[in-house]
Amino acid sequence: MAAGAAALAMSAREAAAQSAPNSTLRTVLNRGKLIVGTGSTNAPWHFEDEKGQLTGMDITIAQILARGLFDDVTKVEFVKQEPAARIPNLTTGKVDCVIQFMTVSPARAQLVNFSRPYYIEGVALLTSAKGKYKTHKELLDAGSQAKASVLQNVDADNLVHKALPQAQVMQLDTQANAIQALDSGRADAAVIDLSTVGWLVKRNPGKYLDSGFHYETQIYSVALRQSDLDWLAFVDTTLMVNMHGHQTDLYDKAFRDFFNTEPPRRVPGFPNI
Amino acid sequence: MNGWWSFVVSTMPFLWQGLLMTLFIAAVVVAISLVAGVLVGICFAYGPWWARLPLRICSDILRGTPLLVVIFTSYYLLPFIGLNLQPLPAFLAAMSAFMTAHVGEITRGAIQSIAAGQTDAGKAIGLTFGQRLVYVILPQAVRRFLPPWINSVTDAVKGSSLVSLVGIVDLMLAAQQVIGRTYEPLPIYVLAAMIYFVINYSLSSLSRSLEARYAYVRD
Repeated sequence: MAAGAAALAMSAREAAAQSAPNSTLRTVLNRGKLIVGTGSTNAPWHFEDEKGQLTGMDITIAQILARGLFDDVTKVEFVKQEPAARIPNLTTGKVDCVIQFMTVSPARAQLVNFSRPYYIEGVALLTSAKGKYKTHKELLDAGSQAKASVLQNVDADNLVHKALPQAQVMQLDTQANAIQALDSGRADAAVIDLSTVGWLVKRNPGKYLDSGFHYETQIYSVALRQSDLDWLAFVDTTLMVNMHGHQTDLYDKAFRDFFNTEPPRRVPGFPNI
Repeated sequence: MNGWWSFVVSTMPFLWQGLLMTLFIAAVVVAISLVAGVLVGICFAYGPWWARLPLRICSDILRGTPLLVVIFTSYYLLPFIGLNLQPLPAFLAAMSAFMTAHVGEITRGAIQSIAAGQTDAGKAIGLTFGQRLVYVILPQAVRRFLPPWINSVTDAVKGSSLVSLVGIVDLMLAAQQVIGRTYEPLPIYVLAAMIYFVINYSLSSLSRSLEARYAYVRD
């Protein structure tokens, strides 16, 4: 009798946990915490702050999911991983989802499921406050006099020339070294991720400038194991509510803190989401 | 220079945590592989064929495979047979097994390099197998065991940096994390290199003094 009464008095969470026997959604709810694969070496996405706490936009997205699952942003465990481990750690069940500035591509979508996008990354030109050329127009006018540093890549020359058709290209092995070239005056502009430009300008307002030209787009999403519709739908719904619905506080704060940008105003009426 | 110094000091607590992890991993791997490797080596030298054969197969596979592949096998392949280890145990198991195979070969070589007449002489004066091992063979074999073994210890310190590939924060990943936050690679890399040098230089000094200590032969 007592057991029957207890079964009838199931909470909504327990009921949800029994809806799909094999879903990661049920596993996570029963476990009481979410396990997220992410990195720790790339500001402003996932990095350790001065107190040694993991923070960044990817970390905020994980906290948003934890709030959706448990009403508690702390119920999330982070598994630190290399970018190359993002898909293997997911497919071998080491993590429930991957939130690690993962660009959506059709090739990757053959191996994992992607949630709706939580950010669209771009490319921008970082300039120095002490440099000869500060804005995109000044760099353009300088023509072949302007030197631009960029992360080494098969398409790096094209990437630079889309923004500055005549500039000299200096290819370097890491994004940090591309920025170092700007610091040391060997380059007039560093061609790097838009989010990194926002982050560096916010942290060092007297040192760096955003030249004002943003281009290229790549979509960042949460990656999930395939064949788990309930889990995918849960993540999508939670992101939708936190980006467009009544719970935008965490997302908006991260947008301001990490990208130095005001989040868009949400307009009632037609659901343009 | 002042700003550089205060920057370096502010990063020390982060690198310190990573350094402790590097030393912990190296110590655990060296301890496990020393005990297991010596037992494996004795088995190679004296064991019956049915004990030697499986050990020989495992040892040859482990020694013929890059450490990185052993680590990824332990971390990504074992889940398919139902053994889903956490990153640190998976790494320690993989690296200990890898080092045990090497220490086993070092031990076997050291024992078998002792002339057979030593064993015969021990038998002639009525020593048991255990007594011959403890009083005759091993004291001589340890001299030939030490130099290659200390080499394998420095390999363990250097190999421990691979742990960052399964997401454990050792000295190298701690340095990467500080760079990821500050975008200041140069001072951090210099600092990390200095720390690695201090560890490995201490180890090689220790090895030289140990070798000098045991190289002395009482004839």
